[in-house]
Amino acid sequence: MARVITVTSGKGGVGKTTTTANLGTALARYGARVALIDADIGLRNLDVVMGLENRIVYDLVDVIEGRARVRQALIKDKRLPEMYLMPAAQTRDKDAVNAEDMIALANEMHTDFDYILIDSPAGIESGFRNAIACANEVLIVTTPEVPSVRDADRVVGLVEASEKGPPRLIINRIKPRLVSRGEMLSVDEVVEILAIEPIGVVPEDEVILSSTNRGEAAVFNAQSIAGRAFDDIARRLRGEEVPFMDMSEQPGVLERWFGGLFRRRAKA
Amino acid sequence: MITIKGAKDGLQVQIDQTADWDAILSALRTQFEHGGSSFFAGARLTLDIGNRRVDEQQLADVLQLMEHYGMRPGSLLTTEGDSRAVARAAGLVTRAASRQNNNTRNEHDAEDGMLLVRTVRSGQVIRYHGNVTLIGDVNPGAEVIAGGSVVVWGRLRGMVHAGALGRAEALICALELRPTQLRIASLIARTPDDGASSVPEVARVQGDHIIVEVWEAYRRTRADT
Ligand SMILES: Nc1ncnc2c1ncn2[C@@H]1O[C@H](COP(=O)(O)OP(=O)(O)OP(=O)(O)O)[C@@H](O)[C@H]1O
Ligand SMILES: [Mg+2]
Repeated sequence: MARVITVTSGKGGVGKTTTTANLGTALARYGARVALIDADIGLRNLDVVMGLENRIVYDLVDVIEGRARVRQALIKDKRLPEMYLMPAAQTRDKDAVNAEDMIALANEMHTDFDYILIDSPAGIESGFRNAIACANEVLIVTTPEVPSVRDADRVVGLVEASEKGPPRLIINRIKPRLVSRGEMLSVDEVVEILAIEPIGVVPEDEVILSSTNRGEAAVFNAQSIAGRAFDDIARRLRGEEVPFMDMSEQPGVLERWFGGLFRRRAKA
Repeated sequence: MITIKGAKDGLQVQIDQTADWDAILSALRTQFEHGGSSFFAGARLTLDIGNRRVDEQQLADVLQLMEHYGMRPGSLLTTEGDSRAVARAAGLVTRAASRQNNNTRNEHDAEDGMLLVRTVRSGQVIRYHGNVTLIGDVNPGAEVIAGGSVVVWGRLRGMVHAGALGRAEALICALELRPTQLRIASLIARTPDDGASSVPEVARVQGDHIIVEVWEAYRRTRADT
């Protein structure tokens, strides 16, 4: 049975698609069978980031409306034979899909994959609701900026209300130097507000830009610090205990969530 | 004549079963007016009329009043068959629920209390007719609106309205009081921009201002009286 993991955010442009592409690629490199579903109907993107745009024949809406079977629509990755992409429809709007459709789709794909990662559209409207309808885990991406954290908080509330279990947090585009100068929210401050478990902190990294343009995930690039951070998150998803990356300027959070808590409990 | 309660999915208004309908309407109007914008606006309201019989016009009047003050009519509770039919015709959900006691309680309701252990997140609203104790944070963009006092055992960063039905004696306490805005009864205050302390504080009405003082200082003034 696949784990169905939806990547969502509230605010747009914070790195959901980047996260989905990199986590999927990292998991597939560890040998998992991975399907990526682009649920951002009308603004499809994941195919471009994966460099698979030119191979699309059918899309998600074709499958849901019965014009294509799941197998026909799934596009095999260029490099990793165990990774597939279900592209979103570019020319339809999000009303073409509903929550039951997504649940049915995930059910049909369950047995063929270990992970199904769903790239959610921004916002809290129907597109977001569809994207989390079939999830059994939710990852919330935020940048360390006040509006982004505020919207993430809203989404955490909605996910909690949907009884999926607590979502986990990815803080993207951290710039340690700005944090240490007090010009950016620190990881600590973000985690304090959202009060959910962080599963990863991803630094700002120019490689993301170049790899996005080449259609090749940053996790392939050993020099990429963001790529390494995404690889760490993938390993944590697999259940490994991976220490958080040392971004020297901000040591507090890991202590609090993974060190301090355990140590104190052990003493009692 | 009318009693307001926090219910799980909004507010519930209980209406006296015998009083004159016009008197009830004017009592409702006074209450809605008192609550200012925040207590009622946006709330989903359940109307409990007990065994009263209402006709189309009476129901239309009360619905219009509710909409005027920004409420969303939710459902009608009544044991009376004709009233139920009238409500259904007006598009309301109806439930047959009989009251425990015929009289509406009143004075003591402000002393009712609710304990919550959670984070109140952006976009979420807690509404309650009595006192609210929250173990957890009120995040920016969240609202807690109470008829009585509000105690936050955590960080208060959103909006809290205490005494929202008019009680100026209501207090707001928090371990860390850093709200976007505080309201007590009909007064409004926002946090000064120079930040906030991280010691427990109490906000209350003095004269026609909301003042905030650290818990230790508040406690001393209490001891004096
Ligand atoms: N860690 C990072 N370092 C540098 N650039 C990044 C990083 N993460 C994302 N970006 C850039 O930010 C932009 C937005 O990223 P992305 O498309 O993944 O966001 P999104 O949340 O999917 O957006 P949308 O809400 O529009 O779907 C892209 O240009 C991407 O290259
Ligand atoms: Mg995207």
